[in-house]
Amino acid sequence: MSTDVVMPQMGESIAEGTVVRWLRKVGDEIDRDEPLFEISTDKVDAEIPSPAAGILTAIKVHEGETVPINSVVAVIGGADDVATAAPPAEAAPVIPAPTPPAAPPAAPAPPAPNSLAAADPSATAAVERVRSSPLVRRLAREHGVDLSQVTGSGSGGRVTKQDILTHIDRRPAAASSAAGPPPPSVAPAAPIGPPPVVSAEGTAPTFDAGQSSVAVPMTVMRRRIAEHMVASRRTSAHVHSIFEVDFSRVQQLRKAHGARYEQAGTKLTLMPFIAKAVIDALRAMPIVNASVDGDRVVYKRDINLGVAVALESGLIVPVVKQADEKNLLGLSRAIADLAGRARARQLVPADVQDGTFTITNPGGFGAVFGLPIINQPQVAILGVGSLEKRPVVVNDAIAIRSIAYLTLGFDHRLIDGVVADQFMGHVKRGLEQFEESIV
Amino acid sequence: MAEMTYLEAIRQGLAEEMARDERVYAIGEDIGAYGGAFKVTEGLLERFGAERVIGTPISETAIIGAAIGSAYLGMRPVAELQFIDFVACCFNILTNFAAKSRYRWGAGVPMVVRGPCGGGVSGGPFHSANPEAHFLHTPGLKIVEPSTAYDAKGLIKAAIRDDDPVLFLEHKFLYRRVKDEVPDADYVVPIGQAVVRRPGDDVTVVTFGAMTYTALEAAEQLAQRDVEVEVIDLRTLSPLDHETVLQSVAKTNKVVVLHEAQRTGGIGAEIAAAITERGFEHLDAPPVRLASLDTPVPYNPGLEAAFRPGVEQIVAAVGQLVEY
Amino acid sequence: MPTSTATRPSDDLTRDDRLELYYFARLTRDIEERLAVLYRQNKVVGGLYRSLGQEGESVASAYALAEDDAVAALIRNLGSLIVQGIRPRAVFTQYMAKGTSPTRGRDLNLHFSHIPDAGGPIVVGPISMLGDLVPVMAGVGLGARMRGRALVAMTYIGDGGTSTGAFHEGMNFAAVQKLPLVVIAEDNKYAYSTPVSQQMALARIDQRAEAYGIPHEMVDGNDMLAVYDASRRAVERARHGDGPSLVGVDTMRMRGHAEHDDMRYMSKPLLDAWKARDPIARYHAHLVETEIATETDLAEIDAMSRAYAEAEADLAEAEPPPEPDTVAAGVFAGDHFQPTVEIVYSPFREKRGTPRHAPASEAGS
Repeated sequence: MSTDVVMPQMGESIAEGTVVRWLRKVGDEIDRDEPLFEISTDKVDAEIPSPAAGILTAIKVHEGETVPINSVVAVIGGADDVATAAPPAEAAPVIPAPTPPAAPPAAPAPPAPNSLAAADPSATAAVERVRSSPLVRRLAREHGVDLSQVTGSGSGGRVTKQDILTHIDRRPAAASSAAGPPPPSVAPAAPIGPPPVVSAEGTAPTFDAGQSSVAVPMTVMRRRIAEHMVASRRTSAHVHSIFEVDFSRVQQLRKAHGARYEQAGTKLTLMPFIAKAVIDALRAMPIVNASVDGDRVVYKRDINLGVAVALESGLIVPVVKQADEKNLLGLSRAIADLAGRARARQLVPADVQDGTFTITNPGGFGAVFGLPIINQPQVAILGVGSLEKRPVVVNDAIAIRSIAYLTLGFDHRLIDGVVADQFMGHVKRGLEQFEESIV
Repeated sequence: MAEMTYLEAIRQGLAEEMARDERVYAIGEDIGAYGGAFKVTEGLLERFGAERVIGTPISETAIIGAAIGSAYLGMRPVAELQFIDFVACCFNILTNFAAKSRYRWGAGVPMVVRGPCGGGVSGGPFHSANPEAHFLHTPGLKIVEPSTAYDAKGLIKAAIRDDDPVLFLEHKFLYRRVKDEVPDADYVVPIGQAVVRRPGDDVTVVTFGAMTYTALEAAEQLAQRDVEVEVIDLRTLSPLDHETVLQSVAKTNKVVVLHEAQRTGGIGAEIAAAITERGFEHLDAPPVRLASLDTPVPYNPGLEAAFRPGVEQIVAAVGQLVEY
Repeated sequence: MPTSTATRPSDDLTRDDRLELYYFARLTRDIEERLAVLYRQNKVVGGLYRSLGQEGESVASAYALAEDDAVAALIRNLGSLIVQGIRPRAVFTQYMAKGTSPTRGRDLNLHFSHIPDAGGPIVVGPISMLGDLVPVMAGVGLGARMRGRALVAMTYIGDGGTSTGAFHEGMNFAAVQKLPLVVIAEDNKYAYSTPVSQQMALARIDQRAEAYGIPHEMVDGNDMLAVYDASRRAVERARHGDGPSLVGVDTMRMRGHAEHDDMRYMSKPLLDAWKARDPIARYHAHLVETEIATETDLAEIDAMSRAYAEAEADLAEAEPPPEPDTVAAGVFAGDHFQPTVEIVYSPFREKRGTPRHAPASEAGS
């Protein structure tokens, strides 16, 4: 009796996932729920636990390969099964797959109890062809790009020319040199005319990896960040507004109530205060808690606050859902919990979905202020600069205060400067005159 | 170098060719003492005489027939149709006799059939035609339509010197509205070569004739939004310069084909098809056609404006392509 | 019915000229009879259009032209082309769609041209749309005048063709411009299956010319010398700058529209009546009666003509079909090869050594 290990559906809209790393090798004895492999999807990176105990008899999808959800990526069997294991990498169709995965066997084994994917009836329907264009498909072929790896910013999520060019640009040279042809810009000099024979002959890589440089493939997360950031830059009309905020009162409150929070199991950091002030400001100015959908403005009922967490390999933004319903303690706990799980790679897809506004904290590493890029499809992001004691003029006297610069990056398509500054004024007031009763 | 109108440039080109080559002559209705309905041939009768500026009865078939026969005898006739709409009256002899002659028996018919085309002047159903599509489907016939005075002179001279029949479409909206620098020196604009009127990286607009100016106006507006449109003026409609179009599409990957004639079965369909066939893998969006409605050309200015594609439609179409 | 004051140019024809006329008519019929055989052997591609009964008017009218004049024949005017020196082999290759035909297999039967740059006979081929040859040949006359050539353009139109707008436009234009054009209007009783009575309300086809102020006359189309005389008068008017003329010829198409036509619509008594008026038989009788030639002389010509027609047909039959890969060439200048049509002289022309009408033209001028 063997159990198939499948690519899980990590989010409703997810059609495929990439195996980033196998944590065990064929022949290993595996416990149920033991981390078996790491995956990366459009939404999240995650460690996938084994659905059953037994011997890892076959690995069907290699590291770096992307397959549709529900594809079998490995088989867990009894000790005897090793010998009969199927050759690797044959069974699962690699994206882009012209047809949906093969129909399930006539008498399928009952799904493993904790198989994430097996329960989802819409699974196969999600395996759809990546929307692109003839040009994009040609570029993908010439540059050896798996289109499913490229985030589409065009209508209906279509991968546009710019998307794939950005993707190719951000890729290490070594990867593209294998597949060949010319530099990523779409060459007007490319041969035109009948028949559309595409030359795939070799060409010089952008970089010569060797003596003076080393080319290393980007991690999946790195590529995702790159794509998302560029897409955001292209989508939104970014404007930044910087406010100086006096955190002296917040610092006093932290000092006064820190111990009590500690007893409740959480540390009273700066972030819950900022979050609270932001939530109040968002409630007052719903346009900042909105999205653009074509010609429409979509106002979000919930305030789902994303808080960026820096990881060794990149950055992830877990989301505090319905943050406006939480008190300072609740916020404090939620933020701490998400940050902790992010660092432990234990986030589930739901943890990173549906954010409506994001706070990022470049000041944590010393930046006086940052000019953050909006996390799409949101329309604003708050950057928190480093908290420093500075001499400031108070009542015509020089005083020492805890000061930080807060930056609002906002999408001018929706938000005008006046609105942004009113919002920031709201945040500033909220922090400088923080209501002690809330704490 | 002198600044002159599109109309004056055609006249000058024709006169220069008549002076250069005694085989060149003009034939058509009212082209003599009156100088033609639009005065393109004004002054030619006085200069070259009735032998070479031949006014005819209202007989389009006779005009083309006479042109064909005389061309067989080595002449280089330039036949005027008072409005290009009347080319329908001589469709048979032009398409069956003139255009097929070389292929059938090797006898070329070096003649130019020229006439005012196009709308925008409330000419109504019989004085506004853009008939290129009828003739695009006629092997053996070349079609040109200049948009500038420079090209008008250079192309009329090239058409007269061409060894095959050339349908020379003069956009009447441009006759006196367009004025540019035209060299005094003898020059030709080669048949079969399109030109890029405005370079751009984002979207290609392929057009010709008066629509070139509409496209340029739209491009100017789009530039304000950081959308750079490349405008191609085809100049020759048959044989089409596919290479210039395809090279542009290879750069921009998105294309609007714009023309003033009706949409269905128009030259835009041919261009779009050629782009799709030969440049499929350069396309990042489907080719878009912008053309007039599938109705006769209406008379009332408001109706005609609603019938023809304008700047707004171009801006909208390009905008959609950018977003695609 | 020539007018009483009319000259009789045929009086100036020498014995050899008269025999040459006979030879051309005979050769025309022999070529077509040979074609009829090839047609039934499936060697002719497509249809065959006979001029049986009309050979005389085609030959005699064209004989009125100078050798370097221009003629545009319809599909039933093979005789006109033979007179102008088109080699029979070219006609056979046309009908058999050979690669060496004047159109290289691209067009059929008499649909071909021969337009030399300078000198030699000009032949302009027809298109199937009747009437267009009239304005085109008016244009040839116009071009000739502009180029300073005293050339006459002759073309043909059937009773059906005179109903087209192109005919009207061409006639009117030629009249206004006084162009050197001669139009031979053939009343051969049927346009395909339509009788003349349904084609026009005029008593005679030549009356069509009245509307244009063009001189016209009607002749017995099966009387070769009458046709020659009327045509010659028209040619001379044209050559002297007196503008176009129309010669109506009363004749009869003795076969169907084409060989595949069962002729069910044709009147049997009418056919019988015209059979007795066969132009070649009549001319043969005339030559014998006027003692211009003996039966033996004419039998010799008959034998020579038949042998020549058969030899030319055999040569043509051996020609190759066109190479399929030549199909796209020659739509525009620069990528075609110029077809050549061989011009041949008759044995009588060889013997005479001078162009047709040379002495007569000099005498008349």
